[in-house]
Amino acid sequence: MIELTLQFLSFMASALLILIGIAGMLFLDNLIKKIIAFTLLSDGVNLALVSLGYFEGGVVAILTPGTSVAEFPQNAVLIFGPGIVLTNIVIGVSTTAVLVALTMVLYKRYGTLKASKVLKGERK
Amino acid sequence: MSAVATNLWTIPLFVIIPIITAILLNLLYNKSRTIKVIAIASSIVLFVLALISPYGFQWFTGQPGVTPGGTYTFDASIFSYRLSLEYYFGGLQQILITIMSLLLVFVVFLSASSLRKNIGPYIALIFLLFMSSAIIIMVNDFYHLWIGVEMGSLLLAGVVAASGESISQKAALKYTFFSALSGAGMAIALAMILGVTGYSNITNAIQYIMSDNLSSLSGVLYIAFGFFVLSWIYAGGLAPIHPLKSDVYGSAFPHATVMLQTQSKLMIVAMGLIILRLFGTLPFAREVMLSVSVLTMIMGVTMALIQTDLRWTLAYLVVAHSGLVTLGISLGTVQGITGGLFQAVNDIVYMSVLLICCEAVMYFGKGTSIKTVGGIAKRAPWLALAVVIGAFAASGVPPFNGFQSEIILIQASLSSGLPEVAAIVLMVSVTTFIALFKPIYNIFLKPDNSPIAMEGDAGAGIATMAMVQPTSPVPKSIYLFLAILIAIIIVLGVYPQLALGFVQDTAIKVVYFPWVP
Amino acid sequence: MIDAVMTVAYIMVIGVAVGAVAALLQKDLLRAVFLSGAESIALAFIFQALLAPDLGLTQAIVGTVLLPGIIILGIFKTRRKDEDD
Repeated sequence: MIELTLQFLSFMASALLILIGIAGMLFLDNLIKKIIAFTLLSDGVNLALVSLGYFEGGVVAILTPGTSVAEFPQNAVLIFGPGIVLTNIVIGVSTTAVLVALTMVLYKRYGTLKASKVLKGERK
Repeated sequence: MSAVATNLWTIPLFVIIPIITAILLNLLYNKSRTIKVIAIASSIVLFVLALISPYGFQWFTGQPGVTPGGTYTFDASIFSYRLSLEYYFGGLQQILITIMSLLLVFVVFLSASSLRKNIGPYIALIFLLFMSSAIIIMVNDFYHLWIGVEMGSLLLAGVVAASGESISQKAALKYTFFSALSGAGMAIALAMILGVTGYSNITNAIQYIMSDNLSSLSGVLYIAFGFFVLSWIYAGGLAPIHPLKSDVYGSAFPHATVMLQTQSKLMIVAMGLIILRLFGTLPFAREVMLSVSVLTMIMGVTMALIQTDLRWTLAYLVVAHSGLVTLGISLGTVQGITGGLFQAVNDIVYMSVLLICCEAVMYFGKGTSIKTVGGIAKRAPWLALAVVIGAFAASGVPPFNGFQSEIILIQASLSSGLPEVAAIVLMVSVTTFIALFKPIYNIFLKPDNSPIAMEGDAGAGIATMAMVQPTSPVPKSIYLFLAILIAIIIVLGVYPQLALGFVQDTAIKVVYFPWVP
Repeated sequence: MIDAVMTVAYIMVIGVAVGAVAALLQKDLLRAVFLSGAESIALAFIFQALLAPDLGLTQAIVGTVLLPGIIILGIFKTRRKDEDD
């Protein structure tokens, strides 16, 4: 039987967030809701990356004056995942800003937030 | 030139100079003369740097690889553990960045002369686009690869939306949504490879995959491969989602499209080579990539045939010709990869000629649709000559450069035992000519019979047009740029060894020593 | 061994899931944004429990102030209710 550890549960939560995010981005019709779904998706990816590096009984991967330098490499949680997450949070904010700006411009032109109306092709 | 054994001083400059220029231009905002001087000076500096730079590595924190024995090594072909973050500048990087910075000079010049307001932020975006493409082509770790792709797609959205039409804003919004999806997918692929191998450096990850038995974990590798191919498809605008990318190409300013298509060719090349190096040993990996490229070529040219606007014809042709590049890379042989990389170089040059001609046509004030413009050849004969040369080069007519790379691609696919793929390459080049012939004939050669010009003689027609829609004469600099690019086309067409020398090295390394960057 | 931090983390895992679903089911966009902000707070607690306190701080600030701020700006410039038709 699978043990319900924190790591397992956070993987489940991240899978749920990713699924909800993708479903929301694909199937919801409101542009703002699509953007909120995107923030959920990127939260899910972040959670997956952080829980990847975690293991039971590890220590925080920040070298504070009290910790012993010799045992630090074995005990510290993996730092590369959180490194990516920090960047992913920043990229998520800038992507959201671009999406909101484009949505505002398109709303001014069409007067609606419905993706099915706004994003309809007008090619000749 | 041999590899340098310390951190190479030019590599950080390719990233820092565009960023500093972008910040400066953004602050200056609308002082067009100062902006023009700074932007052109810094793009010329980048061009000279790319031209004179030696080959070598950039390690963040300045440490070379550590061998299993514990000593340090600078030789990339020796099995060693590197620090995770690494850039490499070699022959392929040199030729692609040189051409890209040459195009940057042209694009900065053209955008400064065609835009009226907000010049500063717009050119800043173009410089950042250059920066992200340079990162992607030089990178040898997953972290920077992912950052480069994410930044590139955001900047692309900004450049496209800057053209201010509703269709371009829609294209930017759609593309950003998909970039959000596939960026998340790429982050998950990264997490999977990190979890399986434990390395973020591509060289180390490949060495781990090749030396250790991963049979129990190969399922994870397949999923990671799937996500990587997904983001490759989206970054390069390949088959299933090519309408998104061609919308982007068609709705941006033509001069911006010059930079955008260069960026996506560089992304295709860099990510394609990384996928081949990492997953080349998996069964079906090459077949998946090959089918994506064949589908891209067929979809691209068929859509290009039915367009009635030069801008949109070119947008779909750019997509179709990306398929040629990916075809060469996915064949996986030395000849195929050489052909694909050479095709990327040629493609960037001749598509830029066609796109700059398209920009010049817009100066006549009637758009680029075949229904509204006509008889340009009489007013600008040199422009007509340039566009015809560009069309010949694109459709693989000797003695222009498209011929040389397409013949290598055909030979490579024949020697890989895929004659049907060779037939498709031939079909692409013939169809390219047909698709370009219609707009070129209508816009340049057919006499101008649009309603306004019919009223009097040609001069009166232009005068009426000028009142309806104020136009400015075609800048003389466009002819200079076209002359330089056509010179490159002819030189590469006659002496292909000039470019092949740069790319052959990379092809050999990818096939025989995949862990060497 | 289950201590206080872990108990909070287990509750927050459920909180993340509920908040995410609830945010997308709202008709009122402003309420959806606030719910996604609440989900971000829960996520910050999980980061803390997963031994990444620096990320927890960043996520708490970005997810509750910056991201909702940007989206709320967008909502005020467009419209607040989801259209029905």
